[in-house]
Amino acid sequence: MYALLQEAQAAAPALEPTAAAAIAVGLAAFGAGYAERGIGAAAMGAIAEDNDLFVNGLILTVLPETLVILALVVVFLV
Amino acid sequence: MSTAGGSNPEYVTARVRARRSALYGDEEYRKLIRMGPAEIARFMEESDYESEINALGSRHSGVDLIEYALNRNLAKQFDDLLRWADGRLYDLIARYLRKFDAWNVKTVIRGLYSEADRDAIADDLIRAGEFDDQLLDQLLDAPSIEDVVDRLSGTIFGPGLAEAYEDYEDTGVLVPLENAVDRTYYDHLLEGLVVDEATQQYREFLEAEIDFRNARNALRLAQSGADIDPADYYIDGGSLFSASELATLAQNRDELVSAIRESKYGDELSEALDELEAIDSLIGFERALDAVLLKYTDALGHVFPLSITPIASYILAKEREVDNIRAIARGREAGLSEEQIEQELVIL
Repeated sequence: MYALLQEAQAAAPALEPTAAAAIAVGLAAFGAGYAERGIGAAAMGAIAEDNDLFVNGLILTVLPETLVILALVVVFLV
Repeated sequence: MSTAGGSNPEYVTARVRARRSALYGDEEYRKLIRMGPAEIARFMEESDYESEINALGSRHSGVDLIEYALNRNLAKQFDDLLRWADGRLYDLIARYLRKFDAWNVKTVIRGLYSEADRDAIADDLIRAGEFDDQLLDQLLDAPSIEDVVDRLSGTIFGPGLAEAYEDYEDTGVLVPLENAVDRTYYDHLLEGLVVDEATQQYREFLEAEIDFRNARNALRLAQSGADIDPADYYIDGGSLFSASELATLAQNRDELVSAIRESKYGDELSEALDELEAIDSLIGFERALDAVLLKYTDALGHVFPLSITPIASYILAKEREVDNIRAIARGREAGLSEEQIEQELVIL
């Protein structure tokens, strides 16, 4: 019985490829979020002083979002 | 504002950089030097100082208006800094800005001592430090110096003042109280400062501040020839002098000057030291100290953009701006020539 179970476990990979891809995207999103934290704070500060900086601030804030989009490619590859 | 929670240097530095670029530059100073007090007030009204000039315009006029508007704007700017900052950053900013708490405590005590009325004292306060309005109003309402000491018992100034109050009662002069306030401020400046790569520069700046304060005190003592023990005025924490060194150097001015010349500040100060030796004027030397400190902090903040250093640099630049405008206004009022006023300014 135990031997059978162990055999079954050994046969299946610890992590399915789709699950690994999901983790990869999740980590990328986490990184993007962390990057945006600092940029967003600085952008809010700049906008508070000068309203004209709103567009620049917005663009720079969402720039790390490209990380997630690139990471999303992994999902289609597996 | 609590000291819990994360630090947010990104937000504060972004705002501070914007504010710093709005400070007056050479061009503005050149214009201001040619103006009279009323024109300066109008010039200020058209720039950053609009709301302060408008608020105070009905009660004051001339140089007083400029002076109070400057103080109030300074207080507003620095209060903003403390309001924005959180966590460790707040602690670092507050260390330096407690200077205004010390100023306010001394102003209230001096006011009570000279029996000035409440409004006159209130006008001279700079509400920039860590004390909130409520505490300052309580201090203003205090009927005697003893009450002021009492009401400060919960703050960092409490223990030192309580001790010094006995001295004051014995002698009847303010020196022990003022000394206690200054000492508390400088003691807390470097106390428990966690130094990492980014705050190392800030620490050096604070040490320079203490060194310059010591040098200034020593030179003044040496100049006046008064029989005061320099160790009483020695502030701990600087890297330039030790207490015993300062005590011997204060006796002899030439040795003191050469000691400063050989220190790490010697290169920047050499011109001012030459002047000090030649014409015996402390004013020029003290202004040179200010300029060196400003130049030093100007370079701060480029190495570690997301740290305390750009903020320290702004604080100092703002203080110099206020000092400069005040010097211009007072100088014009006293009828000084443009060249004389220009010499009084600390501009890079």
